[in-house]
Amino acid sequence: MRRCLARLGNLFRRRAAERELEREIAAHLTLIQDDFERRGLPPEKAKLAARRAYGGVEQAKELHREARSFAWVEQRLQDLRYGARNLLRTPGFTAVAVVALALGTGANTAIFGVVNAVLLRPLAYRDADGLVTILHDGVAPVSPANYIDWRDQSRSFEAMAAAEYWSPNLTDNPPEHLTGLKLTQNLLPMLGIEPMLGRLFAPGEDQVGSEHELILSYRLWQRRFGGDRGVVGKPVTLNGESYTIVGVMPPEFKFAPFWATRAELWVPMAFGSRIYNRGANSLRIFARLKPGVSLQRAQADMTAVSGRLERQYPGTNRDVVVTPLKENVVGKVRTPLLTMLGAVGFLLLIACANVAHMLLARTSDRQKEIALRTALGASRTRVICQFLTENLLLAALGAAGGLALAVWGTKALVALSPAYIPRVEMAGIDSHTLLFLLAITMFTAVVFGLAPAMHASAGNLSGALKEGGRGDSDGMHRNRLRGVLVASEFALAFVLLIGAGLMVRSFFALTAVDPGFNPHNVLSMVVSVAGSNEAPPPAREIFYRQLLERVRALPGVVSAGAINHLPLAGDLWGWPFAIEGRPKPHPGDEPEAVYRIAMPGYFETMRLPLRRGRSILASDDARAPGVVIVNQRAADVYWPGEDAVGKRISLDYDTGNPPTWITVIGVARNAKQGNWASKPEPEIYLAALQNHDFLEKAESHFEYLTLVVRTSGNPGDMAPAVRHAVWSLDRNLPISEVLTMDGVVAEATAQPRFETLLLGIFAMVALLLAAVGIYGVMNYSVSRRTREIGIRISLGASRAEVVRMVVRQGMLQVLAGMAAGFAGALLLTRLMGKMLYGVQPDDPATFGGIAILLGLAAFAATCVPARKATRIEPMVALRSE
Amino acid sequence: MPSEGGDRMGVLQGTLDLIVLRTLATMGPQHAYAIATRLEQVSEDLLHLNQGTLYPALVRLEQQGRIKGSWRKTESNREAKFYAITRAGEKALAQETLRWRRMSGLVEKLLSEGV
Repeated sequence: MRRCLARLGNLFRRRAAERELEREIAAHLTLIQDDFERRGLPPEKAKLAARRAYGGVEQAKELHREARSFAWVEQRLQDLRYGARNLLRTPGFTAVAVVALALGTGANTAIFGVVNAVLLRPLAYRDADGLVTILHDGVAPVSPANYIDWRDQSRSFEAMAAAEYWSPNLTDNPPEHLTGLKLTQNLLPMLGIEPMLGRLFAPGEDQVGSEHELILSYRLWQRRFGGDRGVVGKPVTLNGESYTIVGVMPPEFKFAPFWATRAELWVPMAFGSRIYNRGANSLRIFARLKPGVSLQRAQADMTAVSGRLERQYPGTNRDVVVTPLKENVVGKVRTPLLTMLGAVGFLLLIACANVAHMLLARTSDRQKEIALRTALGASRTRVICQFLTENLLLAALGAAGGLALAVWGTKALVALSPAYIPRVEMAGIDSHTLLFLLAITMFTAVVFGLAPAMHASAGNLSGALKEGGRGDSDGMHRNRLRGVLVASEFALAFVLLIGAGLMVRSFFALTAVDPGFNPHNVLSMVVSVAGSNEAPPPAREIFYRQLLERVRALPGVVSAGAINHLPLAGDLWGWPFAIEGRPKPHPGDEPEAVYRIAMPGYFETMRLPLRRGRSILASDDARAPGVVIVNQRAADVYWPGEDAVGKRISLDYDTGNPPTWITVIGVARNAKQGNWASKPEPEIYLAALQNHDFLEKAESHFEYLTLVVRTSGNPGDMAPAVRHAVWSLDRNLPISEVLTMDGVVAEATAQPRFETLLLGIFAMVALLLAAVGIYGVMNYSVSRRTREIGIRISLGASRAEVVRMVVRQGMLQVLAGMAAGFAGALLLTRLMGKMLYGVQPDDPATFGGIAILLGLAAFAATCVPARKATRIEPMVALRSE
Repeated sequence: MPSEGGDRMGVLQGTLDLIVLRTLATMGPQHAYAIATRLEQVSEDLLHLNQGTLYPALVRLEQQGRIKGSWRKTESNREAKFYAITRAGEKALAQETLRWRRMSGLVEKLLSEGV
């Protein structure tokens, strides 16, 4: 302690201590000298002898200093000043190194910011890790009767709640089609988020007749109610019915997090007689695990419960899967995001290797300086410390650049990222990302700095001094280290380029996919008729016919039609059916198809061609016999080897009444429906004008249609005219999701496009860094070997031979690295399998193409120094030392 | 931070302080040169120090309050910094000597018995 204080004191009294030391050493030397003189040496010789006996004066001083105070702090400050001077002395080197490091750390920090926000941070609910979903196959919705049985019979859950998609029309001016959810009363309390204003739903409010309460999201409250704090208790008209606002949620509250993510309002769900319904699967089940109950135990519990129910009600309780809620939210983006993180990790390593061999080259040039410093009393540790400090300074500069890049990059990522990445809007530079940046900065400083530093200090002191620091022989060891660095750069770059190459191939395969229809020049919009006075259920048929006629009459409109759900943008509803003349299937094993309701003109407008039969016509109405169009996939699956046209199916075969048979009148091409990359599924298209549900049911999922309009000009320009035509029938109809089909297709391929773009950028930077790396190394090597090459030339080596020699030396390192990268890529790209479409992770064309590309880049980068070598003038070279 | 000097006399690292204290205790206040000379004499030149390496030990001991330095004149009328052992230094010397004896006894025993 006392010593510590003394040291601390000495830190400030440094100058006094230094004078005292000088005085003491001088006195000491005088005493020794006196002794030698007494023994008869002449004064001059005695002085020298005294010096020799004493040992290194400067070393003694340094030892004294180290013991005297916190030499460490003093020395670091010294090193820092010295390092800064050094970096400023070589601005070119410093700039290149800082840029490389800024690219590496910046890209890493930006991607980590996204990973942190999306994958690492818990969901914004109370104890979100205990929240799970219970769904068929982990994804498919559940029927009300099953929900009630599961809730009552399971024992692993503190609470089990249900939510259902609900998109009502807000009929107050201006009309708006809103996205919302119906929730069982226990759902919001289970999430544990308090409302900002008002209250949550009270027990009993989810009963029929008392379910007219409404909770607003912050956004809807701001948009439609101007943030009025007195809004609680006020009435709102939804689908023509009056609801009372009881609460407003805080701005950060979002529910549901993985589906219906745009929900802006929540109302209580009253099951009424639906509690007996085990067939209509429309609920998403959310639950909270009891404390101490593992996911496995909850799953076992649910398997037992649903197994019992499946025996009781066959076909209704298959594959019930309990999934952590967070898995639903981020499961799909984990692989792409971690791939990106891996890619930028590689990028950072490449940048490190680059800076490392630049530093290595520099330390070679600094041998003389190091030798001098050692001679003047610097210990080996001290030299290494000096170098590490300099590296840390370099890394810090790189990190500062990286931080700027990351701030910008994160913003760009958030702006560019397609809607499929959940929670990405929360990505930014926070304490976690800053810590991460700090960690990778330290890491890089050590990685790129340690080897050169060790090297530098291990040098032979007198040898370096004598040589003047510019020997011909560059030292086998150092050469090998540089070779290893270049090789590893190329190995890493190879892996990155393969990853990007596979993504590009996969992306081209995806864009070459034929959606089955022609998306160009098609405008679409959702028109919702719920609560409309002009289109009450009995008059709806006429209303829809008029709507299409008005739109078709617009100048610039080629054709128009409508469907309930648009391909690629809408929902997918499965519907079981029976085929005439076949035995009644077991419950749960019925033929099933995606179910669409189309208005006349839909197939023509989408240019979705019919392979056989005819289209749905305006005459296929309630008075005409029932018709249906199936897609090619349904025809292949359910009528293999037969002609589907003319066959009959029934959708109401299990109601107990005699089934209504409808006739297949046509077979349409497969159109991409749910997912761009998915395989075609069986589909049936019913005729809207003869569908009772569609024309008469006051249920929100029947009370809208999606208009599709083929235009002669730019479809986007037609939107106002079409909207106006709709409103000429009823000014209160909400119109939403005004999209061009080209836009819908682009959105459907947004994820692979984004991933390809990012990986492509990273791979290009990697390629650039690797090329700069090999160029730098070969350039350095040539300049070190000037004399040797000069001798070769003077001894008759031809220019071609010199070029060959230099290029061979460089390419050997490159090829070694690429071989390693090849093996690494084969291992690593397997992890990307899920992200690829139409291309295998070990695609030979990609591997070959990338090898050639990288090889050419390396060749070009070595050719420049090789040419420089041929211009060496033998006489100049020989005299140059 | 270990230094090059420290590496070379690693064995002595712990004992140098003890030897310096002992020397000052028996001989009274001495300057660094006298201490170094004395060490060489006593060790019959087996121990040959670069005299500069004494300084860290002296600084350390002074900072620990075990010795105290002051400028005085030598017999030959030169000025030099004389170090004298303090009360705390004597106490430390007694403790360290005891410890050293135990330690060396143990090592000696282990070496002769061959474990």
